[in-house]
Amino acid sequence: MIAPGIKRGTAELAVLSVLEDGPLHGYEMARRIERQTQGSLRFTLASLYPLLYRLEKRGWVRGAWETSRTGRRRRCYRLTPQGKKELSPIRKEWAELFRALKRLTKVSHA
Amino acid sequence: MRDWDALVREQLGGLSLEAEERCEVIAELAAHLEESFEELRRQGLAEEAAVSRTLLQVKDWQDLRRKIQTARKKENIMSNRVRQVWLPGFATLFLSTILLALTEIYGPKPWIMSWGHPPVALIYIPWLFCLPFVGAVGAYLSYRAGGSGRAIFLSTIFSALPFLASIVVVLPVSLIFDHFIAHNIAPMALVMALLGWVLIPVAALLAGGLPAQLLLMRGLGSRRVVGR
Repeated sequence: MIAPGIKRGTAELAVLSVLEDGPLHGYEMARRIERQTQGSLRFTLASLYPLLYRLEKRGWVRGAWETSRTGRRRRCYRLTPQGKKELSPIRKEWAELFRALKRLTKVSHA
Repeated sequence: MRDWDALVREQLGGLSLEAEERCEVIAELAAHLEESFEELRRQGLAEEAAVSRTLLQVKDWQDLRRKIQTARKKENIMSNRVRQVWLPGFATLFLSTILLALTEIYGPKPWIMSWGHPPVALIYIPWLFCLPFVGAVGAYLSYRAGGSGRAIFLSTIFSALPFLASIVVVLPVSLIFDHFIAHNIAPMALVMALLGWVLIPVAALLAGGLPAQLLLMRGLGSRRVVGR
């Protein structure tokens, strides 16, 4: 499990990435992130929704109420074109950071 | 059966949002807790244990309330409005004005719609044919900035609003204070001006903006969530 301090920075990337595959409601989003990261990243209700609302205010995601086959109403989020545009530089920044850390750790082991 | 809605409502008491928005937040969080609870029950947990585990998702409700308020209220409310309404609006106004100027300079003479004497309306047909495109651009720009249905609609018709303002406000005021405007102007002239510069252009803007809005919004509404 990744420490909360480190996780905080990755949260936006995680949410935007998982929404890139299609619209999801909050619970489904949290489950998918947990499954795809094999439990390393976990979102609780308290950590997920303030982030989703922030992203929505920025116009990166958009929420809309939908009804499931079982008749249950849920608010589904999808990436907006602006969100898609923002995702790419965030990904690049993180990839750069990972490469830098990898180089750093290799150097310290050498 | 636990009433998750009532629980969230009680815990988030004092959530300072508009009534409708507060209800939406409460319903959304309650649905999340309900699904967590049901999942735990499916995994075989006893009801009380499942409730306890579900409630562990929120350690500090007051902190969550503050975070939700900050996220939904304080962050860039003005800049969102600017991006979702004003910028698309002024972009379409600029585009529409340029197109009108080009039509006036290079286009055919306007069609004069006459209704008695003296009221007439000048209709720039080529300009009207361009307006659906302008409306669609306004709708798209607002949608791209994350605009709501209302913001998209406003952006679509924005370029006709200055004409409306000038006819409804400026012209009557000028009639009173400005001696250069003929005082024998008939009320019918205002109606004709409204028709030629507002109603018909708005219809043309909507002819492009509404289909664009429907197409863009359909992307959100078409997906039915797969239920468990």
